[in-house]
Amino acid sequence: MISISKLLCDLDAEGDGLRYDAAEGSEKPQITEKKQRRPVVVWNTTRRCNLYCSHCYAGADLDPASGEFTTAEGKAFLDQLADYGAPVVLFSGGEPLVRDDLVELVSYAADQGLRPVLSSNGTLITREKAAALRDAGLQYAGISVDGLPDRNDRFRGEDGAFDAAVRGIENCLEVGLKTGLRYTITEANAPDLEGVVDLLAEKGLDRFCFYHLDYGGRGAEIVDADLTPQEKREAVRRVADMTLEYHDRGEEIETLLVGNYADAAFLVEYAREEFGEAKAQAVYDYLERNGGDPTGERIADVDYQGNVHLTQFWQGYSLGNVRDRPFGEIWEDESNPLLEALRNREEHLKGKCADCQYQSICRGASRLRALASTGDLFEPDPQCYLSDDEVRGGEMGSMVGGAAD
Amino acid sequence: MVENARRSLVESDERGNPTPQWEVFVRAEAADPMRHVGSVAAASATEAHEHASRLFGWDAADVWLCPAEAVERYSTRGLATDTEGEESRVNDGADGNPEVQDA
Repeated sequence: MISISKLLCDLDAEGDGLRYDAAEGSEKPQITEKKQRRPVVVWNTTRRCNLYCSHCYAGADLDPASGEFTTAEGKAFLDQLADYGAPVVLFSGGEPLVRDDLVELVSYAADQGLRPVLSSNGTLITREKAAALRDAGLQYAGISVDGLPDRNDRFRGEDGAFDAAVRGIENCLEVGLKTGLRYTITEANAPDLEGVVDLLAEKGLDRFCFYHLDYGGRGAEIVDADLTPQEKREAVRRVADMTLEYHDRGEEIETLLVGNYADAAFLVEYAREEFGEAKAQAVYDYLERNGGDPTGERIADVDYQGNVHLTQFWQGYSLGNVRDRPFGEIWEDESNPLLEALRNREEHLKGKCADCQYQSICRGASRLRALASTGDLFEPDPQCYLSDDEVRGGEMGSMVGGAAD
Repeated sequence: MVENARRSLVESDERGNPTPQWEVFVRAEAADPMRHVGSVAAASATEAHEHASRLFGWDAADVWLCPAEAVERYSTRGLATDTEGEESRVNDGADGNPEVQDA
């Protein structure tokens, strides 16, 4: 995740320590005082979902699946994460609220010292459920809204899904649960970007997560619906512009970019255009501490059957299964050649990524998109939208080693 | 006489997410041991081989694939709990489907 609001507007957030090793200077209470050494773990608690979204990375279905964890197994898994020192567990799905033990599991995670957060479509969050989750220790609810009513409901495969999600958001806010909105952009919903951000502000939400489409699960089936790289660049520019506009009006909305670390390079260029060289260097330095694409390092995923994945989007490959071996052992086992290669990807990146001046803050962006598009794990991400001059350094000189000035 | 470790059977029927899983074994160099490197999701052995080759095939001498559900697993670790009689905890609506709430 890349926080535009932190980088461009100096807006502090609870995740600064996780993302930028910036806990010490932040005015917000921090998730961790130390730089993140362990991954945030996404847990797909169930495959079942009450909606059928066209871009679902988890391939969620209306029907239940075999092999989901029992409550006791779920708690044993949370013990594994706590023992390993994972800072955050993200309860996801499918739709996690279809599990009737979700509140119990959230409470257990909090008791074990994990920070429990939620990813939901929002449609099943009643006021009572929101209050129960808050009381159980839930720290944050991210709710997906992929457009205004018409486009969102088409995307999500059900009429009324938008209104139900908004009611879920309102229920969270009414009980004082920190809540944010997640939006995954495609051709089908790009025209609603501004409308979704306006909705967020109108409802009093203060966190907006802009997701790029990754090519996993059903997302791999709608690659043709992804924006072109140039359209994506313009969309990211609009999000950056809106962040500045809202900030100038005194509305402190935290805006985050997820799923394409070409955005990191773009934000350095954007900072240079808008604020000058010193700001560009400061943004670069923050992003270098962030460490670029987190696949196989700062993000992990465990699906409903216990398979461990490199990110939540990369469900087609599993490092191992937590029913066989504890999560920490699987994640630390760099005798796995793929894990080792991804963690040392600088040695393998090809094409323009190999010599890109922004390699250390991007690290080749999505290896999953490269794999899905080219069949080669280390070819450039097809959604890199940087110009040749930006990749090479051009007339502005190189950002690497603080030589931008 | 060596005492056996207390391993227990790991339930692994119908492993898949939702596509069947294939355990992948790779011998990187001709003289290396064969080692387990995870699993891939694929509808067939041919597709699993193609998938595994994209992930590991750049220098692997041999790639073996095995349907994950055909592997009997015994472990001293994992999620071993006393779960007898427990079932998956998915909430059903009246017709068996969770529904969008009105309130």
